Amino acid sequence: MNGLSLHRKIEENTGLLIFGILVVSAIGGLVQLVPVLNQDSLEEPTSNTRPYSAVELTGRDIYMREGCSVCHSQQIRPLIAEVERYGPYSRAGEFVYDRPFMWGSKRTGPDLHRIGGKYSDDWHRLHLLDPRAVVAESIMPAYPWLGEREASEAGNITAKMRGLRRLGHPYTDEEIAAAEADLEGLKEIDTLIAYLQLLGTNFNEEEETNE
Amino acid sequence: MTMTENTIYQDRVTLRLIQFAVVWAVVAMTAGVYLAAELIWPTIDFGQFWLSFGRLRPLHTNGIVFGFGVSALMATAFYSVQRTSHVTLFSPRLAWFCCYAWQLTVLLGGLSLLAGWNTTKEYAELEWPFDIAIAVVWICFAVVFFGTIATRKIRPIYISNWFYGALIIVIAMLHIVNNLALPVSLNKSYSLYAGAQDAVVQWWYGHNAVGFLLTGGFLGMVYYFLPKHAGRPIWSYRLSVVAFWAFVYSYIWAGPHHLHYNSIPEWVQSLGMVMSIVLLAPSWATLINGVMTVSTAWEKLRTDPALKFIVLSLAFYGLATFEGPMMAIRSVNVVSHFTDWTIGHVHSGALGWNAMITYGTFYFMVPRLVGRELYSTRLANIHFWMALAGTMLYIIAMWAAGVSQGLLWLSVDQLGELSFDFKDIMSSMTPYYLLRLVAGLVFLGGTVLMAYNLFMTMKGREPVAVTPPPVAPAFGVAS
Amino acid sequence: MSSNIYTNLLFKSLYNPVDSFRDLSQVDPAPLQILLRYSIWLLLLPPFFAWIGASNFGWRLGAEEPLRLPADALLVISIGYLLVLLFGLVSTAFISRWMASTYGANKSLGRHLALVTMVGQPLAVASIAHLFPDVLVNVLVLIPTMIWSMYLLYKGIPIALETPPERGMLMASSLVGWLLVAAVSLLGISMALWALGVGPLLGV
Repeated sequence: MNGLSLHRKIEENTGLLIFGILVVSAIGGLVQLVPVLNQDSLEEPTSNTRPYSAVELTGRDIYMREGCSVCHSQQIRPLIAEVERYGPYSRAGEFVYDRPFMWGSKRTGPDLHRIGGKYSDDWHRLHLLDPRAVVAESIMPAYPWLGEREASEAGNITAKMRGLRRLGHPYTDEEIAAAEADLEGLKEIDTLIAYLQLLGTNFNEEEETNE
Repeated sequence: MTMTENTIYQDRVTLRLIQFAVVWAVVAMTAGVYLAAELIWPTIDFGQFWLSFGRLRPLHTNGIVFGFGVSALMATAFYSVQRTSHVTLFSPRLAWFCCYAWQLTVLLGGLSLLAGWNTTKEYAELEWPFDIAIAVVWICFAVVFFGTIATRKIRPIYISNWFYGALIIVIAMLHIVNNLALPVSLNKSYSLYAGAQDAVVQWWYGHNAVGFLLTGGFLGMVYYFLPKHAGRPIWSYRLSVVAFWAFVYSYIWAGPHHLHYNSIPEWVQSLGMVMSIVLLAPSWATLINGVMTVSTAWEKLRTDPALKFIVLSLAFYGLATFEGPMMAIRSVNVVSHFTDWTIGHVHSGALGWNAMITYGTFYFMVPRLVGRELYSTRLANIHFWMALAGTMLYIIAMWAAGVSQGLLWLSVDQLGELSFDFKDIMSSMTPYYLLRLVAGLVFLGGTVLMAYNLFMTMKGREPVAVTPPPVAPAFGVAS
Repeated sequence: MSSNIYTNLLFKSLYNPVDSFRDLSQVDPAPLQILLRYSIWLLLLPPFFAWIGASNFGWRLGAEEPLRLPADALLVISIGYLLVLLFGLVSTAFISRWMASTYGANKSLGRHLALVTMVGQPLAVASIAHLFPDVLVNVLVLIPTMIWSMYLLYKGIPIALETPPERGMLMASSLVGWLLVAAVSLLGISMALWALGVGPLLGV
């Protein structure tokens, strides 16, 4: 049976066509995804990486809600200029508690992976509420509502942490029980700043190079 | 036999889907133009959260891909699968359900994006309730489509249907695997995958959503409507067979080129790069097939303004499918990644290829569906030049912006110190963004002209009743 | 007629392109003559302007600091630019002639060369913007010029190559496809070379 007559069978049979497409298109995905999803080193946190606290998690979810990742990447490539501009390049182990990952695909604004600790909380507050008050050339939107809304109303923190624990994040019962109290009195902007200040600080260059 | 609803082609649902697609094009492109303006005048969101860039952009992309793109694909799939199977749609009711349920899903999904329900996975931003809705409608779409094929009166399954079939099957697979998540409330879920693993899964999805929806699906359009326009069969049937399977096989591997130099294993990046380059072959095989089909039928151009759009869309298809593999090469990608070049590349595909071929197809279908000449050929010709100018201006502005960004970000002086401040590079982009805004306005203007032209053509008309023609016994299904 | 075709092409095609296309359709010029008596002058303009501009002012890629290149590197880049343009012109003319049989157009290589040069002529003249080496200024000048050139391509092919307008439209679109691909390849190749260490320093 030559190639074309085999193909004639496929093109006259709906079931075969569906099956053929499914098999042929699945191969590439399987070859890439199965090893990657089973590679334990990609799930191994670096020594300082820990799950997000209730406050930081709320901040991260606000970062997602506002679509910050549309313009800011969180991925420093191992290039001289990039390391010089942003800091040590990103390691897979730093992202193991990121659901989803937020490496981004576009830098309209600068990379934020190592933004933590570079500016004061007050700078961030001012910058988020009115970016052009701090950086005259900025084209970032202002986020006035972040300063008004209560952090405790930005989603059900207990349910979120329970959910993440089911996915394997090691939260203790105490942490989950205290979560709502942790958010008490905070505005959304406070949690977002807490998240930004954490970003990239869980990396310890000396420790990592010793391994 | 009487001409009842069951013996004529189900074209009302097609016409309705075309109307929805046009509305989505205008809405989502308007959002895009507004976003372009926000990058120049950042305060025009007026402190309103729903106008904020980060929330409006996913609405723009989802509106184009799922609102405009999928509506157009459903419309053309329903239209062509009946005509290539010589039978009316399997379960018209389900087809109507697909039509309206899809519009409702995209509409509410779009509003949910403005409300901040955002998973942040690109082209999969919608939260879990919408993911489920999409999956349900998609399965219904599959039932209608494959049901029609299964009940066909002609033995061979025509090639356009393979592409639509691949679209339906592969998008279903990608959508389900990538969106697996644990819901924690109505508007919030956490991905089953984390970090680097999530990145690989996401770009396997993201790249192939482009591959099988924006490329494969629209190639289905080419394989049906181009020969129809040209009034002759596809140039090489063998080539289309080979190109189809090579396309389905190799596209799926290319996703990791979105993650060059990122924190994923190196072998995945290299594999993605090699397969991206391989992908050029099947992409261009189809291009050659299309160009050769139309080049023997030039006299049709005299009477058919729609064919111009299709011819030009092939040129941009050629560009985009060449530029993509090139940008997947690591030493090019190192400059182009994270820059506006990527945005330009996406738009050379989305404007030059997807939008143009859809416009050409709509100008072809609508007059035939309602049995009346196109309201204005002149307007269609003006639209053609606006679409061409808008696309060119857009991609050139983004090339210039992207190359400048890429080089300036990486520039170092003799001592190895960075030459430029990020914010200086960023603020030097304003003129390019202004050009892009003009480009977007021109393209949108053309789309509005088309909307008016098609509206005037359809006004007060119902679809013409067409019964499937008989099949020559040699090709008939033995029953 | 054919004695002054070269001067005619060089000047008339700027203010009355349609007429020059018609003139071209009357003759069968030798390819080498076209190249040496017409195209070459236009090919020299962009590298020349670029060389003057860059050596005097340095390129501004948008940011504050202009990018200064050493004189010898500049010469190499200018010559490279000339060669790229020459290659672009000749290869486009050959591709155009190769396509001619598909679209029923005239197959004289000289005519294809002349046509491609005429289409590119506005761009060559507009490259005077290179004297002011700011990417933005150049983009602002060259984009409208390029749209004009594309118009000339669509307009010129049917007249100069004597094919029906509809077939000419198809042929022009195919050439646009080739030119877009060529442009993006050039962009990609220069980026790759740059990233691999040719040209100004990049920290990669």
